[in-house]
Amino acid sequence: MIRAHDIKKTYGDRVVLNGIDFIAERKKITYIFGTSGGGKSTLLKILIGAIKPDAGEVLYNDADIVKLSGRELDPFRRKMGMLFQHGALLNSLSIGDNVGLPIKEHTELDDSIVNIMVKMKLELVGLRDFEGLLPGQISGGMQKRVALARALALDPEVVFFDEPTSGLDPIVASVITKLIADLNKLLGITCIVVTHAVDEAMRIADKIVILYRGTVLAQGSPQEIKASSNPLVQQFITGSPDGPISFHASSKDFREDLLTK
Amino acid sequence: MKNLVGYVGRTFILFLRDLSSIYYLFRETLAQSAVILLNRKKRRQARLLEQVDEIGTLSLPLVLTVSALLGIALTVLISFQLKEIGGLNYIPGFVTVAVFREMGPLITALIVAGRVGAAFTARIGTMKVSEEILALETMAINPVRFLVVQRFIGIVLALPALTMLAGFTAVFGSFLFGSTRLGIRPDTYMREMLDVLLFKDLYSGMIKAIVFSVVIVMIGCYRGLVVEGGAEDVGRSTMLSVVSSTLAIIMFDTVMTAAFYG
Repeated sequence: MIRAHDIKKTYGDRVVLNGIDFIAERKKITYIFGTSGGGKSTLLKILIGAIKPDAGEVLYNDADIVKLSGRELDPFRRKMGMLFQHGALLNSLSIGDNVGLPIKEHTELDDSIVNIMVKMKLELVGLRDFEGLLPGQISGGMQKRVALARALALDPEVVFFDEPTSGLDPIVASVITKLIADLNKLLGITCIVVTHAVDEAMRIADKIVILYRGTVLAQGSPQEIKASSNPLVQQFITGSPDGPISFHASSKDFREDLLTK
Repeated sequence: MKNLVGYVGRTFILFLRDLSSIYYLFRETLAQSAVILLNRKKRRQARLLEQVDEIGTLSLPLVLTVSALLGIALTVLISFQLKEIGGLNYIPGFVTVAVFREMGPLITALIVAGRVGAAFTARIGTMKVSEEILALETMAINPVRFLVVQRFIGIVLALPALTMLAGFTAVFGSFLFGSTRLGIRPDTYMREMLDVLLFKDLYSGMIKAIVFSVVIVMIGCYRGLVVEGGAEDVGRSTMLSVVSSTLAIIMFDTVMTAAFYG
């Protein structure tokens, strides 16, 4: 179980997260939605211990990782995988070396066994033939799939996904979505996904958390979210341009902004 | 005036912050270097020889060319004066001392700071921007061990070797010019050179080179690791890396020259 409790984070005067509270159950898929710039990525970075919140706790089975730093975080990080939005593959290493890197770093396995494991992970994302290429020689979508293979390299208990299907063609997006569902159902991996893809979430999520203006607007199963009478929630899931959520992010009045020197 | 005081104060505080961060980075680099050097598997993974090759071999043509030209330039400069008093035979001694004690280590370090230190910053800074360093951290891989240590060991081995070669190349350039254009007899040149060259000149140059290599790699990597934002900040950090390592090299050089020969 992962619990975010009363997470607060500000950048300068801008409050990004203001009292986020939710639980991601073990062996379940939790989707986190929110408007662009609404603090989803910040929350994800806090959950993986990359940045510290100004206040609050992130509990992994009752251990608060916010209080840990540097090497104290390593035992937790070995149990987690992270798929970055743009892959974040190491450009100087081949695809195979990228996937094999965490295995080589954290195990004493022989290179021949590492190679077999790399092939298995790459086969999982359908890219076994690309092992020898550099990340720059494959498409963005493929890079994301390789990054997923790398995130799974050490058979993690939890995998975090940052926009796993953005920028992918519909077929690859569906494949990734199915992979997330399979990882959870077949291997029992806890998945926490930050995304804009509502349809995908409604299809496979066990729980959905909607962030709005730094707070949790709603949370629950897809059915509960669908049945919500809150117009903000309804606008989120229908993606309607008309509704209480404004497209404009500016806080200052437009007329006033134009007329003041 | 108030603004000026504020600016100077802010800059000084930032300088102290950078200095303390570089100290912590250096300490962590030494600790992680020990981890790598003591572990056979990690040593192999770090591909240290590739780093020595990249830093040393690839800098060699530039360093040797500049050194040879430096030796010739020094010879030309002083020959004007010494010719007047019939002291051309002092040229070998002067060039040897100047090159091994001062010019060789300094020029080589400045070339490597511009070529290699800037590349360290740009490379690591780009990795920071594309979240590769964050990816390493989430995989519980120490970025200092993965990115800084191999460069640290590589440059600490490569720069003294380059400095030594630069010294001999500069003297050789001077020897060729002196013997072909100034009429200094080759055997006289060799004898004069060996007469003045002390063991201390060689080891002081090596110590300087080791200190300079630490300065280059620490500033280069630190500036890369603190990049925030995008391409613009990578460029700014790279520029700052070259400027600050150039300044630091010259400052350390002055202090060490004074310590060895003052």
